[in-house]
Amino acid sequence: MRETDFVLEGVGHEYRAGTPALAAIDLSIGCGQHVAVVGANGSGKSTLLKILDGLVFPSSGEITAFGAPLTEVALEDPAFRRDFRSRVGFVFQEADVQLFCSDVRDELAFGPLQLGLPEDEVRRRVQEVAGQLGLEKLLDRPPYSLSGGEKKRVAIASVVTMESHVLLLDEPATALDPRSQVWLLDVLEAWKREGRTVVMATHDLSVAAEAADRLVVLSEDHTLVADGTPDEVLAQRELLLAVNLIHEHTHRHESASHRHAHAHGPGTDPDQAHGHGHD
Amino acid sequence: MDIVAMHIPDGYLGPQTYVVLWIVMIPIWVVAARKVKRTLKTKQIPLLALGAAFSFVIMMFNVPVLGGSTGHAVGATLIAIVLGPWAAVIAVSIALVIQALLFGDGGITAIAANCFNMAVVIPFVGYYLYRLVAGDAPSSSRRVVSSGVAAYVAIVAGAICAGFEFGIQPYIAHTASGQALYAPYKLDVAVPAMALEHLLFFGWVEAIVTMGVVAALARTEPALLETKPAAKPLRWLWAGIGVLILFTPIGALAPGTAWGEWGGEELDSLVGYVPTNLEKLGGLWKAGMPDYATPGVSNTLLGYLIAAVVGTVLVVGVTWGVGALLARGRGDDDDAASRSTAPTVPTG
Amino acid sequence: MSAPCPCCQADIAPAVHRRGGGRSLARKTADSVGHAVTDVLQNEELAARPGLLQGLDPRVKLLTLLLFAVAASLVHSVWLLVALIALTMALAAASLVGVGSFARRVWASAGLLAFLVALPSALSWFTPGQVVVSLGPLSFTEPGLMGVATLVARVAAAAGFAILVIWTMRWTDLLRALSAMHMPDVVVATLAMTHRQILTLLRTVEQIHLARESRTLTRGTTRENRAWVTERMAFVMRKSMKTADDVYDAMLSRGFTGAMPSLVRLRTRPRDWMWAAASVALCVAIVIADRAVGP
Repeated sequence: MRETDFVLEGVGHEYRAGTPALAAIDLSIGCGQHVAVVGANGSGKSTLLKILDGLVFPSSGEITAFGAPLTEVALEDPAFRRDFRSRVGFVFQEADVQLFCSDVRDELAFGPLQLGLPEDEVRRRVQEVAGQLGLEKLLDRPPYSLSGGEKKRVAIASVVTMESHVLLLDEPATALDPRSQVWLLDVLEAWKREGRTVVMATHDLSVAAEAADRLVVLSEDHTLVADGTPDEVLAQRELLLAVNLIHEHTHRHESASHRHAHAHGPGTDPDQAHGHGHD
Repeated sequence: MDIVAMHIPDGYLGPQTYVVLWIVMIPIWVVAARKVKRTLKTKQIPLLALGAAFSFVIMMFNVPVLGGSTGHAVGATLIAIVLGPWAAVIAVSIALVIQALLFGDGGITAIAANCFNMAVVIPFVGYYLYRLVAGDAPSSSRRVVSSGVAAYVAIVAGAICAGFEFGIQPYIAHTASGQALYAPYKLDVAVPAMALEHLLFFGWVEAIVTMGVVAALARTEPALLETKPAAKPLRWLWAGIGVLILFTPIGALAPGTAWGEWGGEELDSLVGYVPTNLEKLGGLWKAGMPDYATPGVSNTLLGYLIAAVVGTVLVVGVTWGVGALLARGRGDDDDAASRSTAPTVPTG
Repeated sequence: MSAPCPCCQADIAPAVHRRGGGRSLARKTADSVGHAVTDVLQNEELAARPGLLQGLDPRVKLLTLLLFAVAASLVHSVWLLVALIALTMALAAASLVGVGSFARRVWASAGLLAFLVALPSALSWFTPGQVVVSLGPLSFTEPGLMGVATLVARVAAAAGFAILVIWTMRWTDLLRALSAMHMPDVVVATLAMTHRQILTLLRTVEQIHLARESRTLTRGTTRENRAWVTERMAFVMRKSMKTADDVYDAMLSRGFTGAMPSLVRLRTRPRDWMWAAASVALCVAIVIADRAVGP
C-alpha cells in the first residue's frame, strides 16, 4: 500500500503579483494520517487545501498526488480528473458555497453522478449516507431552507457519498454548536478507523489537538514553521505566540495579577471579545 | 413588489409583436451563449448566475433621487461594463426570466420583449458608449463619468424601444370602431411618454446607481473594471449609427415632408407649378417601396415602419459588408466583446 | 445642526419633518426584500398542497398554462376574456391556493396598473367615438372604455395563468420541466444557481439594511443615503464575485463536467393527458368562438 498521498516541494503561491498566499512549503502527507494545518487568519491554510485539491495551482514548486504530478495540464485529461476527484473530497468553510443543487437528494447525488457511477449505485449511496448523518427526512427539501447545522451536515454528506480516500476540511468546527462539534469529532474518528486521510485547516487549537495526530503550523508570512505531534507543537509556547495562534494578557484576581496564555475554545472567532475561566 | 418602469407585463403586446420578438431573441441568446462559453468556459455558470442574481437584486434597491423620492434601477449597463455585453445579455435575461417565473413580475409571453429592451439594447448601447467616452486607459473619475453617461443614454434607448413596442399596438390591432385591443396609446404618445419618464427620472436613477457602484469598485476592486485595449475608430461610427437607428422611430411622429424633399405633386400644391426637368426625371426610378410605403400593406403608418426597418437593415447590411471586406484586408480582430474573467480574490 | 448627547455620545439631529415621511430608505428596502424572500418560501408551501394543478406533471402543467396565456393574448372579445378570468379563479379554487388571495394578487400585480395606465386612453382626445361618460371637462368614449376593459381583462387573465404556474409549481419542478423541453443544460443550471444565489443575496441585502436601520437615529441627507446605497451595492457585487469563485471551486472539486444531473425522473399519468386534451380543446374552442363573435 502506498505510503504518501501528497508530496509538496517548495510550493508557493501568489494570487496576483505581490499578493503572496503561500511561501515555499515542504510537506508530505502520509496515507491515513490526520493532519491539522493551523495558523492565524490569512496565513494561507485555505490556499494550501485548495492546492491539495487541484483547484489552485502553485506559482512555484511542485506537488505530487498519489504518486503523479498534480498540474493543470494533468487535470485536463478526463480519466485522470475523474480518478483524482473521486479520491479527494473538499468540505468548504461556508456550507452555502457548496450547496447548489435543487434538493438535498440531488446534492448528495451530484458528486457520484458527475463521476459517472450507475444510478442504482448512486441511489444506494445516497440512502446510506443520509441514514448515517440523519438526513433522511431532509432529502426532498431545498438546501436553502435548512438551518446552519443541517446545511453543514448536508455539505459533509455530499462529499461522503463520493467515498473519497482523502478528505480536506476548511475550518470544519467554526460556527458549529457544541453538540454538532461532538458529532464532527465522532465523524473524524470513524474516518480514522476507516483509514482515510484527513487534512483539516483550522485556527482552533483545541479541535486540532483532539482530532489530529499531526499538527502543521503556518506563520503569518505564509511559511511552515512547525510540524510534529500535537503535544510537541503545543508545547512550543513562544512559537505559537509569534504566529498569533494564542495570545497573552494580564488580568487581576482580587489582589494579585498574572499573565497567562491561552487559545480560544472551539467555534469562536479569535478576534471577538471573550471571557475565560481558570483551572 | 415594485418593479422597474420598463417591464412589460402580459396582455399589452399582441401576438404579432411578442412572437416577432421571440423570433428575434432566440438567435441572439444562442450567439450570446456561444460567445460567453468561449471566454468563460465552465466557469460561466457560477459567474453568470451571480451576475443574474446581482442584476435581480439591484432592481430591488430603493435609490434616493431627490427629496424623499426613490426609484429603481435596472443595472444592465453596470453588468455589461463588468462582465462584457454578451455575458450581460445572458445574465440580465436570466434575471428577467426569474422575475417572471418565480416572482410573477413582468409577463411570460412578454419575456422576449423585455429581454430585448433590457438585456440587449441597454447592455450594448451602455457598453459601447462607455468604451467610447472612457477612451484608452481612463482615470477613475473618467470611468465614473462615462459609466453614468452610458447608463443614462442606454436606459433611454431601452425605454424608447419599449415605447415603440407599446405604440405600434393600436395600428396592428383594433376594432372597426377604433377601439384598441392591446396597449391603447399610439406612437406619438407612447414613445415620448416612455422617453420623458426615463429622461427626467429613471435615467438619473440608473446613472446614479451605475456611477456610484463604479466609483466604489474603482476604489476597492479596480481589476473588475479593466478592459482590453481601446476600440478602433470604426467603433465610433458603429456606436453612433446604433444610437441613431434606435431613434428613427421618432421620425414617424413628424407630420408632413422634410424640407426640400418634395416630390412633383407637392411642389405643385406648394408653389403652383412643377419645374419641367423635375417632371421628366420624377418618373424614371420606380422605387421598390414608393413613398416609404410597403406594397400590400394598406395601413400607411405600418407600411412606413416596415419600410424603415427594411431600409435600416439594408443600409447596415451593405455598410457592414463593405466594412468586413475592408477589414479583412487589414487583418483586424473585431472581437472586443471577449473579456477576461474576474481575478480570484485571495482567501488566506 | 446636531450636537452629541452628553450621556451616550449619539448624534441626534433635531427632528426634521421630511416630505413623504413614512419608513426610512433602509426600512423600505429591507421590507420589500423581506417580502420577496417570504413569498418564495410561501410558494413552496402552496406548491405542496394537494390541489388539482399541483398533482399534474410539471411539463404538462407548464405547457398548458402557457397555452392558456397565449389564448388570452389572441382573444379580442371582452366577454371571452372575462370567461378566462373565471377559469383562472376556478383553477385557483380547485388547487386550494385561496381564491381571495389569488384575486388580490392578480389585481395588485397587474390589473390595477393596467387600469390606471389605460384609463386616460378612454378620453375622447385619445380615442374618438361616441361619448358615454362625462365628468366635467373629461369625456370618455365608448370605444375608449371598451379598449380599457379589454386590456384590463386580458392583463388579468394572463397574469392569472402566470400566477397559477408560480403558485402550484415547486421551482425545482419548473426547472425539470424546462429541461425536459430541451432548454440547454447551461441555461437550466444557471437558472438553478441564480435562484439559490438570489436568496442568499436577498438575505444579505436585508441584513445590511436592517443593520443600518438599527444603527441610525437620523434620516441622513439624500446625498448621504445615495452614497450609502451605491457603496452597499458595490459591496454586494464584490462579495458576489468572490462567492462565484468559491462556488465554482466547490463544483469543480466534486467533479463538475458541465451538466447538472438529477436523480428525479418525471413520469406522466393518465390524468395529465386528460388535462392536456381538455385544455387544448378549450383553448381552440375559445379562439374559434372569438373569431365567430367578431371584433
